[in-house]
Amino acid sequence: MDSLGQFEQIVLTAILALEDNAYGVTVHAKVEDLSRPKKATRGAVYATLDRMEDKGLISSWLSEPTKERGGRSRRHYRIEKSGAKALRDSARTAQRLIETIAQNLGGLAWKPPG
Amino acid sequence: MEAARLSEPPDWLERIVLLAIPPAARESVAGDLWETCRSPRQYAVEALQTVPFVIASQVRRNLNLPAIMLQGALIFIFLGGSVTLILLPVLMLRSAYQQTTRPSPRHAIREASLLSAGAVALLLLIMSVRSPFPIRAGVDHFTWLNLFLLGLLLSPFLCIFRAGLILQGDRCAAACPSELPKEELARRYRSFLSGALCRNVLEALALAGVAVGGFIFAWNTLLVGLFGVAAVYVLLDVTPRAIPPDDDFISLRACYRQGLARQQQLRRFLRWLWFTPVLLALQARLAVNGLETGRPLAGLLDCVAAAILCFLVAALNREHGGRVQEEIGLLDRVREKIAS
Repeated sequence: MDSLGQFEQIVLTAILALEDNAYGVTVHAKVEDLSRPKKATRGAVYATLDRMEDKGLISSWLSEPTKERGGRSRRHYRIEKSGAKALRDSARTAQRLIETIAQNLGGLAWKPPG
Repeated sequence: MEAARLSEPPDWLERIVLLAIPPAARESVAGDLWETCRSPRQYAVEALQTVPFVIASQVRRNLNLPAIMLQGALIFIFLGGSVTLILLPVLMLRSAYQQTTRPSPRHAIREASLLSAGAVALLLLIMSVRSPFPIRAGVDHFTWLNLFLLGLLLSPFLCIFRAGLILQGDRCAAACPSELPKEELARRYRSFLSGALCRNVLEALALAGVAVGGFIFAWNTLLVGLFGVAAVYVLLDVTPRAIPPDDDFISLRACYRQGLARQQQLRRFLRWLWFTPVLLALQARLAVNGLETGRPLAGLLDCVAAAILCFLVAALNREHGGRVQEEIGLLDRVREKIAS
């Protein structure tokens, strides 16, 4: 399986964090929150969601139409098993990066978040 | 987390945005834009930033490379390089904007009439200015008149054909309840997989048969090679896919949707491929019997026959594609029925 790009990792993490409430608006808001101080356009989020769905990393479905959305449905997203596995692999790589950076830059100069 | 919606977008602006969003993403993207609308200006800016990405994504998703390459080659052979360069992006955009439903017979009749009238007008315009076709300028008035008459006579035929296809499609339209048990979804998916497998094997054998026949009878080498490669391409797709036993309803539905979309792309390419030898034969005849060579009517009829064939393939693809998209739309909305 292809490794995930950075933006894909962020979008997948957003879907994971949002659980049952992952749809366009909320995913975009969570992605903006996770990728601070960088800005992410909603269009880029949609394109990434489509690409990951084609790769089988996530799946989507439409909800019932609601009045708050002008009578339109939400497209909800959920991580699939292959998506969860890819995200875990990415997290392991990120963990190794954090440890290596911390070792070389020293604890005083830079501290990994959390 | 959710941005508060303080206003609704103006109707005219919403209509423009709805037109710009490809139909497959229209429902969700337009809903998201509506939900976060704070002012008409913010809505317009947000739409301008979002829609190009959505269009690009839909172009990528619907890009049927084998079909586009084949269509590009046919356009190149018939109309030349410059027209191909203009038409290829149009074809790619058209696939991104493919409808998620089949048109009504009324809409189809209007479309067919406009298309045939437009085609005749365009052909006349191109031929009277500077023709990129094998048919060159210098065609007499009698031929122009025949062209007009043929166009007029063919319009009702094309309308009836198009409307007939839709009515036929209505009879085998997909039916899907709003709730479905997982077992029933799995049964439908298995039935779809076995149907697709059977059809692909038969079509691959037919393609291989044509390739072998072409080789024996020394047809155009490129065409024989194309059918051979297509047979292998279809055979690669026939590997039976087992349904993972631990898949839940949502994963199963995602697999089903992907399978449907993939088969639609394959069928679209194959429909064009089956008609390619006839189109190439017509082009070869046109190159010999150009309208200026003393047999203008023969050339004219070849032109019209090629146009009708292209219309037929496009109409078949449109009907089948619409039916598959309808089925995907129904699957998108179906809920799991939990046995009580």
